Amino acid sequence: MTAASAPAGQKPGGPAARFYRQAAKLLPYLYAAVGVIAVWWAVVLIAKPHMSLLPSPLLTAQTFAQLVASGELPRDAAYSVFRVFSAWSLAALVAVPLGFAMGRWQRLERVLDPVVELFRPISPLAWIPLAILWFGIDEGGKIFVIFIGTFFPILLNTIAGAKTIDPVLIRAGRILGCADDASLFRKVVLPAALPQVIVGLRISFGTGWAAIIAAELVAARSGLGYLISNGMEVLRSDYVLVGMVTIGVLGVLFDAVFRWVDRRYNWMGE
Amino acid sequence: MLAEVVPGKPLSLRGLAKHYATADGRVIEALKPVDLDIAPGEFLVVVGPSGCGKSTLLNILAGLTEPSAGEARVGEAIVRGPDIDRGMVFQDYALFPWLSVIGNVEFGLERKGIARRERREVAMRYLAMVGLSDFADKRPRELSGGMKQRVAIARTFATEPSIIFMDEPFGALDALTRRHLQHELLRIWQEHRKTVVFITHSVVEAIYLADRIVLMTARPGRIKTVLKVELTHPRDPTSDDFRTIERRVYADLDEELAKSFRMEGRDPDA
Repeated sequence: MTAASAPAGQKPGGPAARFYRQAAKLLPYLYAAVGVIAVWWAVVLIAKPHMSLLPSPLLTAQTFAQLVASGELPRDAAYSVFRVFSAWSLAALVAVPLGFAMGRWQRLERVLDPVVELFRPISPLAWIPLAILWFGIDEGGKIFVIFIGTFFPILLNTIAGAKTIDPVLIRAGRILGCADDASLFRKVVLPAALPQVIVGLRISFGTGWAAIIAAELVAARSGLGYLISNGMEVLRSDYVLVGMVTIGVLGVLFDAVFRWVDRRYNWMGE
Repeated sequence: MLAEVVPGKPLSLRGLAKHYATADGRVIEALKPVDLDIAPGEFLVVVGPSGCGKSTLLNILAGLTEPSAGEARVGEAIVRGPDIDRGMVFQDYALFPWLSVIGNVEFGLERKGIARRERREVAMRYLAMVGLSDFADKRPRELSGGMKQRVAIARTFATEPSIIFMDEPFGALDALTRRHLQHELLRIWQEHRKTVVFITHSVVEAIYLADRIVLMTARPGRIKTVLKVELTHPRDPTSDDFRTIERRVYADLDEELAKSFRMEGRDPDA
């Protein structure tokens, strides 16, 4: 009784209190940002490096504003996000069904598992040369690299989720009227494995986001990776820093979205 | 009191047997041919040591396992697979953790095609029956073991099955909760008049609940004795009549246990 009498996930307070609680969660990020900028500025003031090596935070902020105003930064960011998103979606479309099939049918897993294990340790970055040879430096090559990078985390997590379902839940589902495999999948297998699938989707988005920058550094005419590599070539380290900051901030934002989805659909608890 | 009471159906077992083949080609007899007739609305308890095939028997009756020989009929229909008309309560509750308490009770009703509003009403009625109306929106993980099993009982009775199988349903509960739930189960059973097949290895539990006790023996599993319990409810485990039956059951069980221990002494594989 005691465990149930205090409802979980419900805290007292009205909308104002809730707003402050949410805002308080952002404080650590704020401290981190202030800390990094302070150190950065201190280095610039003390060591006085040439502008092309390390620009001051102020100059970087000005460049940031310029690049936003000119539309260059939003365009590059949009390219990178588009590439990751389309490759990640493609990977999910293949890896989630395949993961369920491998997790539920041992025979299929026995056949495919060695193939997966063989390809899994190969970094997506190692595929960049082949991707360029096969698909050129247009969208195809980069989407291919990200596809490789996001495919395995989704696949492995989905397999794990589908495999570890408590068999008694399957029996309960069958007893309670899930006579065929389709309804059993929809009503029991899918919801039981969902939290683990979401973990895979979240992790893979992170690896995809890291890999796209690398792919764009090597071969691209657009995207945040290109902004960085181009900045290096023309000795504009402020471009490089603007690109890096944008990558970091977008990465945190996407992860926040996934955390929200995870909280909403994860029945495993807080 | 509930509106409609759908009475239980009879169950008949004819030559029902199960054997497994091991990897090295030996055949293990899990269940010797069983013949048994269970009357509509009867509370039948199967008692036996572990390994006596009582769970195998129950899984065959529920349609989760195929018999190697013989058949089981519920009413006129031969058991060929799981059916929502035959309910089951599992030892480890088997509640769906991603659904709320009421969602669990509604699961089978939804599979039966009952409309949302009626579903909710029926589910609430059965939650009231087990005294958990206030916990409808909780998650199973917020409940104690005894409460979980009450939810599972509500979920099973809610679909109005004509027969209910219970696989050591109170085996994981503490003695006090167990006593309370035995009492509750009897009350619900008397109200609904379902046919119940209940498995336990507690002799006292068997005598407390059963119209008839089936005593099974191990290696291979077979029925040793069938015993009518004619005491009126509520039964007093400290009364002389209760004790007399208890002594008789233990006498039969001890004989068998001694036999199986002797067998173990002879056969290192057993």
